Amino acid sequence: MERSEEYIKNERKQDWRVALQKKTKAKDRMSIERAIMAETPPEVRITSQRIEVNTGLTKEQALVEASRCMDCVNPTCMEGCPVSINIPKFIKNIERGEFLEAASVLKESSALPAVCGRVCPQELQCEKRCFYVEKLHQPAIAIGYLERFVADYERESGNISTPKMLAANGIKVAVIGSGPSGLSFAGDMAKLGYDVTVFEALHEIGGVLKYGIPEFRLPNAVVDVEIESLRRMGVKFITNYIVGQTASLDDLKADGYKAFYVGSGAGLPRFMNIPGENSNGILSSNEYLTRVNLMGADSEDSDTPVLRGKHVVVVGGGNTAMDSVRTAKRLGAEHATIVYRRSEEEMPARAEEVHHAKQEGIEFLTLTNPIEYMADENGRVSQMKVQKMELGEPDASGRRRPIPIEGSEYILDCEVVVVAVGVSPNPLIPNSVEGLDVSKWGTIEVVKDKMQSSIPEMFAGGDIVRGGATVILAMGDGKKAAKNMNIYLTEKYLVN
Amino acid sequence: MKEFKSINDILDFAINEEILAAEFYTALAAKMKHKHIKETFEQYALEEMGHRAKLEAIKNGKRDNFSDAKVADMKIADYLIEVDEDKENMTYQEALIIAMKKEKSAFRLYSDLAAAMTGEVEKKLFLNLAQEEAKHKLRFEVEYDDNILTEN
Ligand SMILES: Cc1cc2nc3c(=O)[nH]c(=O)nc-3n(C[C@H](O)[C@H](O)[C@H](O)COP(=O)(O)OP(=O)(O)OC[C@H]3O[C@@H](n4cnc5c(N)ncnc54)[C@H](O)[C@@H]3O)c2cc1C
Ligand code: SF4
Repeated sequence: MERSEEYIKNERKQDWRVALQKKTKAKDRMSIERAIMAETPPEVRITSQRIEVNTGLTKEQALVEASRCMDCVNPTCMEGCPVSINIPKFIKNIERGEFLEAASVLKESSALPAVCGRVCPQELQCEKRCFYVEKLHQPAIAIGYLERFVADYERESGNISTPKMLAANGIKVAVIGSGPSGLSFAGDMAKLGYDVTVFEALHEIGGVLKYGIPEFRLPNAVVDVEIESLRRMGVKFITNYIVGQTASLDDLKADGYKAFYVGSGAGLPRFMNIPGENSNGILSSNEYLTRVNLMGADSEDSDTPVLRGKHVVVVGGGNTAMDSVRTAKRLGAEHATIVYRRSEEEMPARAEEVHHAKQEGIEFLTLTNPIEYMADENGRVSQMKVQKMELGEPDASGRRRPIPIEGSEYILDCEVVVVAVGVSPNPLIPNSVEGLDVSKWGTIEVVKDKMQSSIPEMFAGGDIVRGGATVILAMGDGKKAAKNMNIYLTEKYLVN
Repeated sequence: MKEFKSINDILDFAINEEILAAEFYTALAAKMKHKHIKETFEQYALEEMGHRAKLEAIKNGKRDNFSDAKVADMKIADYLIEVDEDKENMTYQEALIIAMKKEKSAFRLYSDLAAAMTGEVEKKLFLNLAQEEAKHKLRFEVEYDDNILTEN
């Protein structure tokens, strides 16, 4: 939602906000310690893929944490949020006990607050820009924890507010892909009165939220509630339907669809291209996590030996790598190890995930890079050769790049290797649609902030435009696209 | 082994290598099925033409020589397997691997030639040419590091 600075300032001057500002002195707010999130003990949670690690703040904790927030005149936290959630407004609503009101503030800007509260890299976004961090060098307000608290409170209360819907206008739009980007787009378009159908290649709706991020971080039930509310808004979902294969875009046009939103994600795994990489037992994180998350390969009676091993090595340092290695631990690996060619500081994974992984006994080999895999007589991977790296001098971009240390090679045992070194955009739509501008990385080119592609009736966003990004950015793109597609369709079909 | 009678001889050899490299990328571009990869190889061909122009300027005395700054070697290309150059549907990652390996082999060629030279001036020139190739390789390695080795 767009908001002027003036609007934010005026909101801050509302009576109830002023009363709260006066109620507690800044000094007293500052003396409160940041809330600690309760978590399931490591030895318990590693027994199942479906036990959530973080268990949420209590009401009392949330009230206290909210009272730490200074309700800053210039809330820099909002600048750190990619979709500019009105952070002080939602937090102050918590402080005064209006949790449902706080939830509706979140929903002005974010379609999936219960998801973002759990998976956003807050320490790099809103919390990094919090007054406590920037000026006081103290731990930030736990904005992410509070966001999760409010969204969970609303869901559990059963009082989920239904958004205002405009009258149906009869115009059909198709969404390709049901990840966070497609879902947020679908919600906004449904509110505007469009007849929205989401086509999804897999049998489950939710994209990475379902097939990628494991339930110990994001329970499916949380995502399902959001999908249910979209259904209630009239959004239709068609699964097992690959646009570009089951039917072409032209077929959909012939069916009456007037515009398209491509949110098909970046689900094409990348490999390293090193010798031995096609041995049995080496798989992409994408395949590994999909088999466990969507196909129940973690259950005891599932016949999936390929996924289990005493030594499981995961290559990479992102969220995908952390999710894979922690999954391996839950599947019974004695040694579940991360091998990453850069240093720990450079790991793109959320800091909390690295912390939780360590608690769970995950081993970390940083500044270490695989250079070859060795297989046994059955063609199954049994060892990998790795090389130690060191960081070189900072280059023109200021980045210290890893450089191999000559003669530092050694051998690691491994029966399962999960490669999590990045993903590429799903190529089907970019490669099959005539006239669609595509970058050299295979991402769809769009007009920035409008999300419109070189084909006027086709908009796109999320990972298919950005390469691998984040849930909140994917969602933000969906919202921008909905706003601009509405303008496009209104001009074309609704004003006469 | 090829004989080099003069400094200009060596530069002509190197200029020809750049022309061959440009032709190689142009041919790959023509073969590619998808526009964005076609354009990538066309871009590489243009870069080779740029290297050629630089060498010609040096030959014509319009530019004084090479810089002596040491070039980092990230050695990314060293451990990767060859890409099948007959494929028509290469990915951007494969395009970069081809380019890194090609610059690496040019670097090796000039380093070997430098070692084989007896005259100091010729030796120095080949070493300089090798350094130029190392720079080109680093440019591709940095792109690979920034865009392909991006774990998410
Ligand atoms: C394991 C893992 C962990 C992650 N952890 C985090 C995290 O903690 N925090 C964070 O912010 N981000 C995280 N990310 C990144 C984040 O999940 C993505 O950036 C985000 O999901 C992108 O959303 P999207 O809607 O663009 O695409 P996706 O979520 O990838 O959804 C795309 C959907 O489109 C479908 N599709 C593709 N092609 C077609 C077609 N032709 N026809 C029909 N359907 C099609 C796919 O099946 C998929 O369901 C993680 C990613 C992974 C893989
Ligand atoms: S910067 Fe921190 S203290 Fe200030 S309004 Fe935002 S969350 Fe509250």
